[in-house]
Amino acid sequence: MAKAFSRPKALSTTHTHYCPGCTHGIVHRLVAEAIDDLGIQEKTVGIAPVGCAVLAYNYFDCDFQEAAHGRAPAMATGIKRVRPDLMVFTYQGDGDLASIGMGEIIHAANRGEKFTTIFINNAIYGMTGGQMAPTTMPGQRATTAPLGGTRPRPACPSAWPTCWANWSPRICHPPGRAQTPAGQQGQKKPLSRRFNIKWKTGASVLWKWFPPVPPTGA
Amino acid sequence: MTINFTDIVIVAGNYGSGKTETAVNLAAACRRTGKSVAIADLDLVNPYFRTREARIPLEAMGIQVVLPDRQYLFADLPILAPAVADILRQPADVTILDAGGDDVGVTVLASLAAVLKNKPVRMLQVINAFRPFTGDVAGCLKIRKEIEASGKINITGLISNANLMDDTSVAHIYQGYDLVKQVSAHTGLPVEFITATPEIRSQLDLNRITCPVLTLDRHLLPPWKPTGAPPPSHLKLKT
Amino acid sequence: MAKVLMKGNEAIGEAAIRAGCKNYFAYPITPQSEVAEYLSKRLPEEGGVFLQGESEVAVGYMIFGAAGAGERVMTTSSSPGISLMSEALSYIAAAQCPAVFVNIMRGGPGLGGILPSQGDYFQATKGGGHGDYHLLVLAPDGVQEAVEMTMQAFTLAEKYRNPVMIMGDGLIGQMMEPVEFPDGLKTEPTNKDDWATNGMAHRNSKKRNLVKSLFLDPTALNDNNLALKAKYAQMKKEEVQYELVNADTDYQVLITSYGTMSRVCRTAIDMLKEEGIEVAMLRPKTLFPFPEKAVFDASGKESCQAVISIEMSMGQMVEDVERCVKGRRPVEFYGECGGDIPSPEKIIEIIKALL
Repeated sequence: MAKAFSRPKALSTTHTHYCPGCTHGIVHRLVAEAIDDLGIQEKTVGIAPVGCAVLAYNYFDCDFQEAAHGRAPAMATGIKRVRPDLMVFTYQGDGDLASIGMGEIIHAANRGEKFTTIFINNAIYGMTGGQMAPTTMPGQRATTAPLGGTRPRPACPSAWPTCWANWSPRICHPPGRAQTPAGQQGQKKPLSRRFNIKWKTGASVLWKWFPPVPPTGA
Repeated sequence: MTINFTDIVIVAGNYGSGKTETAVNLAAACRRTGKSVAIADLDLVNPYFRTREARIPLEAMGIQVVLPDRQYLFADLPILAPAVADILRQPADVTILDAGGDDVGVTVLASLAAVLKNKPVRMLQVINAFRPFTGDVAGCLKIRKEIEASGKINITGLISNANLMDDTSVAHIYQGYDLVKQVSAHTGLPVEFITATPEIRSQLDLNRITCPVLTLDRHLLPPWKPTGAPPPSHLKLKT
Repeated sequence: MAKVLMKGNEAIGEAAIRAGCKNYFAYPITPQSEVAEYLSKRLPEEGGVFLQGESEVAVGYMIFGAAGAGERVMTTSSSPGISLMSEALSYIAAAQCPAVFVNIMRGGPGLGGILPSQGDYFQATKGGGHGDYHLLVLAPDGVQEAVEMTMQAFTLAEKYRNPVMIMGDGLIGQMMEPVEFPDGLKTEPTNKDDWATNGMAHRNSKKRNLVKSLFLDPTALNDNNLALKAKYAQMKKEEVQYELVNADTDYQVLITSYGTMSRVCRTAIDMLKEEGIEVAMLRPKTLFPFPEKAVFDASGKESCQAVISIEMSMGQMVEDVERCVKGRRPVEFYGECGGDIPSPEKIIEIIKALL
């Protein structure tokens, strides 16, 4: 009987530290499947962020570098520029990418750097224990916003990718959801396609946009 | 052979070709012939070693030195003193503009185009054969083209400032002169003069050289050269 | 190759190319922007990578990424820019990657000024970034030495898998001197397949490489720090470089000075000699590792009455000098750091006051 389901080669056997219900494990798997589909595991360099996915390098079986908070796009630029034959991707959360690393990602996109960014947005700082993020939604409570995000924040949360997309036509790919099986399957093909495009032609930066779990604190 | 310049002289050239030393020494040489001389520092590119560092001996000779305000002398700001346009409107017998290096350095000339228009202007390209990018004719022509495009003004003459600082020998002067002659042959531009320090100049076979030789004293000196020494002889106004 | 006349900044750029470094990332800042201007012309000729990053912060990580991928890479900056790169320096040292950083120092603190200074000695030798790490720091006193040290920096960075810093003050970057380039480095980094993220296929291995500085397990973190400490101990043993000037005389005073300041001291020593006053100088060429034993030995000469550290700072290297003299002789200090470099005459006056 044919094997219907197995661990992707690009995923290591290490158990993740992610909490039940967290979508990091699922997205890791989607990324690993895309790497397998393209057969590029041995030419891939991933970059781990600071955030809940800081240990992502333990869960993928490919070369990995670990960046300082927000600096993954700069590191990816360094790697890809000196080794254009490698497939380089960064994996970043909303604190890492949309707050402290905003400058790096915008400029990498503007230069048309040839790497892929997987953006995971949960609208909160998870690693440090639930502080407010730039993508925290109006009314959503956080440990540093105990009354809920009350101030007007017109650009949050889903407006960021829209801003980026409008600002640079090279930024592409619609948001996806990782919470449901259908959502997960819907991400798989575009991921492979984008990895392929970025690696082979290196057209630009890819944005994957996984919207947050609906806020419960409000 | 002597240098007999009048009106406006712009000293341009590639970065580090020795424009400032050349301009300052040219100003002194012109002043010694009894002409009124003004010199303006247009070098907005270089942070150190600018005309401003030779201000005191030049002013002592009665040369008008136009610099940004004292408070901005060591600023990391591209400041063009308004007085530059003034001295161009009412030039001295010889008015020397020390431009910045490369095409970027002469961009400022374009902003003075209106004042320079219809005035007799010598636009000189300083060449040091021992600098990167100007070791051959092609390199010199490339710089010339870039300077002309950026400064919106055509080069009218060439200067050889061949040197390796303290390591310069007579052979280097000849080598630099020969290069500039080749550039001259390609362009039809005259070689206006070459430079040499007093020690080197005394060893030159002047029959080999068909243009004036400007005696050049280095006075944009590094700080480890003793300051107690008297200023170079030719920076003193002969009475 | 015949001599050429070059600015320190240009020469450092050319030296990197001769050392086989084809990758340069930087952000403009006076007084070192000529390195970027020079390399923006030269690197495309060499098929290399020139990239002006969006900030020194980003540039630090471009260097980290490229170094982590096993390629020779360099950046240049000046004091405020180095502050911004200090975060990356800490990460690169922790992750043990080779890279070359050049600091053409200007006056500080804050925005300071654009004239030369040696105010970043503490930053370069004692940290700058966070954590227990050291840079290997080389301090040239002229354009020729800047060339030689830049080329040597790549070899040292690769030997120790540690960032190496060239510390030149603004004058080293801006002044022109005739320079001759030694033969290029032929060697490729030999050990990079063991650690670099250069791609499993590239090194023909099934084992993936990790470049990281996170060690959540206390034993693992301690072990990493011990590994770094062992490297610094090896540097202290094998890499100390210094120059002694006029030290074979019965000198009355020993000067310690480096970079541009040491050139002025050299002139002062010559002038004092003409007056019959013997003064020696110990010029550290490596600021880390510091020539500890050499300073101790030189200060111990019977004729030597005092040691004076002369710097374009408010007194930084003097703390290392004091540490190494171990109280055997009084240690004095003279320094200026506004950008006006003390003249030889001024140094003579200071020395005479000690006698």
